[in-house]
Formats: sequence, structure tokens, C-alpha cells
Amino acid sequence: MIKVNNLTFSYTKKSFIRDLSFSVFEGEIFGFLGPSGAGKSTLQKILLGMLPGYQGSAIVNGTECREHKSDFYESIGVDFEFSTMYDKLSAKENLLFFSSLYGRKSRSVDELLRMVGLENDTDKRVSDYSKGMKSRLNFIKALVHDPKLLFLDEPTSGLDPTNSRLMKDIILEEKKRGKTILLTTHNMQDAAELCDRVAFIVGGQIFALDSPHNLIMSKGAAKVSYTWNDNGEQTASCPLDRLSEDKLLNKLIAENRLLSIHSSEPTLNDIFIEITGRTLV
Amino acid sequence: MRFCNLILWDMKFQARYGFYLLYGFLTLLYAALLFSFPEAWKEKAAAILIFSDPAAMGLFFMGAVVLLEKSQRVTSFFAVSPLSVIEYIWSKTLALNIIALVVAAVLAVSVNSRSISLVLLGTFLSGILFTLLGIIIAAKIKSLNQFILATVPIEIITFVPAVLHLFGATPEFMRIYPANVCMDMICGREFSVVGLFFTAALLVIFFYAAYRSVSKMWQCEGGEKL
Repeated sequence: MIKVNNLTFSYTKKSFIRDLSFSVFEGEIFGFLGPSGAGKSTLQKILLGMLPGYQGSAIVNGTECREHKSDFYESIGVDFEFSTMYDKLSAKENLLFFSSLYGRKSRSVDELLRMVGLENDTDKRVSDYSKGMKSRLNFIKALVHDPKLLFLDEPTSGLDPTNSRLMKDIILEEKKRGKTILLTTHNMQDAAELCDRVAFIVGGQIFALDSPHNLIMSKGAAKVSYTWNDNGEQTASCPLDRLSEDKLLNKLIAENRLLSIHSSEPTLNDIFIEITGRTLV
Repeated sequence: MRFCNLILWDMKFQARYGFYLLYGFLTLLYAALLFSFPEAWKEKAAAILIFSDPAAMGLFFMGAVVLLEKSQRVTSFFAVSPLSVIEYIWSKTLALNIIALVVAAVLAVSVNSRSISLVLLGTFLSGILFTLLGIIIAAKIKSLNQFILATVPIEIITFVPAVLHLFGATPEFMRIYPANVCMDMICGREFSVVGLFFTAALLVIFFYAAYRSVSKMWQCEGGEKL
């Protein structure tokens, strides 16, 4: 679906994106993770055909991005982080207008609105929508022409936990329908939950690319932390695979003195910091 | 099909933003004003009204429309849609000039103009030129204040010569000046064919400039904060 080879791009004389190579397979959810200024937006702009002055190759849906024509966007849906709607039009009118820009058969606007819980606000002007409602509307706008490839930028940003869950379920449902999804997010929990593979991008380079599970497992074993009372609460931990060697833990178990015990794995965020030396700000 | 839909939607936006209501009111006001003028003044007064409002409305309203779209970041979405810059420019230009033609027709009829078709042709031609200028300016600027400032020199170099020309206060060679060619047409009188050629050439240049400006605006807006 997407094949990038030796991609280099610069805004100035200094390279901003350096020699990137990766592929995104059809039907997968691929996450770009990186701090601000890491090159995620530039990479997306290149893949969306907006920055043709790159070196190397970036092929999306079989088209070299710098050579795309306007029908290139017929099979691409983009959900920006910000609202891109006409405020004076209703939600339904906005969706009907934007769907009229495409030659493909549109999905049912009413069905899409129902899918994100906006069925009772279809005729309300977008200017009267809350930030979360606008975010959901913006998301379904990217789906209205039933594209094969979706670019989602922080799709759960500004949503309450219920709607965030709803949005993630829809993303997974769209994946089941065969869509390829490129997700840009700072939310490691979302990335770990949704993405088949993630790429850590810092300074225009990919530092790691694998499934969240593999990344987590390759960089740190799960640990067991436990507490007990000995003139106040004491805490200790040991690797899960060396539990039997921890004499203190075995003694505390034998004497039934444990106050708490739990295992913990490193998060994707921990792995990101360990690999890149950067935090996701 | 997309292009026709686009024009219809642009007209719907104009209706929603009150353009039709405003111009319905203005047309009645202008017609009443013309009716009150002495017979000898009517034709020239109508020409000035048509040239300065319905024909030139594109300059001001297109600025407002594009600035509004930029502020609502709709242009960001256009950049990643199948909509082409050419379709965008023409749909906006044609949709806005439909109102201009209706208003101009009413005013021309109200003063028994010598040639309604010539008035409409002049209105349409100047309307396209002014609308393209409005798009070129609005694509480059960020606020309404900047837009108003940028339109002042355009008003001076178009309205002043055209009004002077209407009253015969310009030298003969100025008949080929595009604003004067449009004014001659709107007045329903003979116009310079060489001037029409220059006007057509200017239209091509303005269209190319508008194309470049909108392409740059889409690229910049669409990629600014993905």
C-alpha cells in the first residue's frame, strides 16, 4: 500500500528527513510516534503528495507521490487534528458537501453520523458543536467516500473516555473492513492498542519499527514489585523470570508477610524513551 | 458533475451568509435611486453603480469568502481532496458572478439601457477580473484589515480611470485600458476591440496568478499542521 525507499527531504540545505525506508502493508494500522518537530508531519505531507521536492521514492497506492494527479485523493481519507468544516452549515450539510467532491460512491451520511453518536445533532450548525463533537464529525468526514487508505492525526484528542473508546472501536472496525490506516499520535496507549506496527521517529529518522508487543518485549522483561511491613512499608522488585532466586521474596511468602505483589511490563512510552532518549512532547 | 455541484454549493454558502438577501435589498435601493434621477443622468449613473458594485463585488466578497474558508481551515481539506485548483477558482468566480449578472440586468432594465446583452457581457468580464483579483489577494493575506488595505490601490487604478472615461475625461488611447473597455460595455456603447484583446490577455494572466496563489495557499494551509 505504501512503500518508501531512501526518502530524503529538506526545507533548507540541511536534510530534515534522512534516508527513510519502510513499507506499510495493506490492511494494517501503522503508527507514527515521535515528539513535535520529529518529521512526522513532513513525512505525512510527502505521502499526501504535498511536498514533491523529495529525493528517493515514496509510493502510495501504486503512485509516486510527486507525480500524483487529483484522482490520487479519491482513495485517501484524511482526518486532521483540527476541524475543517464550514461553521455555518449543519453537520449533515458539511458531509454532503465534502462527499460531493469525490467521484466514488459515498457512504450513507446518516449511518456515519449514527456511528459516532451524532444522529440527534445532524441538523445542528457546526459552530454550535463542542470540541469533541467536531472531532467525531471530522473523523467521519474522512470516511465519507469510503477510502482505502486513512491518515488519522490524533483521532482521540479532546475526547472523553467513552467517545475515545467509541472512536478506537470504529478504527478497528474500519481495519476489519480492509482499510489501511496511518495513525499519528502522542498517545502511547492508543498506539499500543490500535497499531499493528509503530515507527519511532526522531530527527527525521526512524529509530525503531516493529509491533508494539515486540518492542516492549525486546527491551525489557516484566518485573514483579512487592511490599511488606518492616518498621514501615518497604518495597522491592525483581525480574519475573528470576523470581525463584529472590530469597527475600520467598521468605516473605513463607512468612505470609507480603502486603502487595504485582507484575508490571514496561510501557511503549518507556521503550520510546529508552530507544530514542526523547520524551513525546 | 463535481463542478456543477460545486457551483450549487457555493451558491448555497452565499445564500447562507446572506449575500442574496443583501443584494436583493441593494438592488431595490439602487433601482429606486436610479428612478429618482433625471433622465439624462440615468444611464451613466447606472453604469457607475453596476461597475462599482455588482461587477466589482468579487473583489470584496471573494476576499471575505476565501478568508472565511482559511479561518475555518476548509482549504486544508481541499488540498487533500480530488478538487482541483481550477475547479475551485471557476466555481467561486461563476457562482459569485451569477448574482452580479442578475443585479446588473435589473439595473440595466430599470434605465432602459441601449444594449442589455452588452451590459451583461461587460459586467461578466469585469466581474471575473475583479473576482480573480480578490482571490489572488485573499490567498496571500491573513486578516480582513490586510485585505482592505490591499484593495485600495486596486480600487484607485480601476475605478478612477473608468469613471473619468465614462465622462470622456480620458485621452483616446485609454480606450484600450481594460477597466475602460468594461465601462464602455456596461454603458452599452461601442468599445475598443484592441482593448478587448488586452482585457482577455489580462484575464489569462490573472487566472494564472490566481492558480499559483491558490496552489500555494493549499500547499501551505494543508500541510501547516497535519
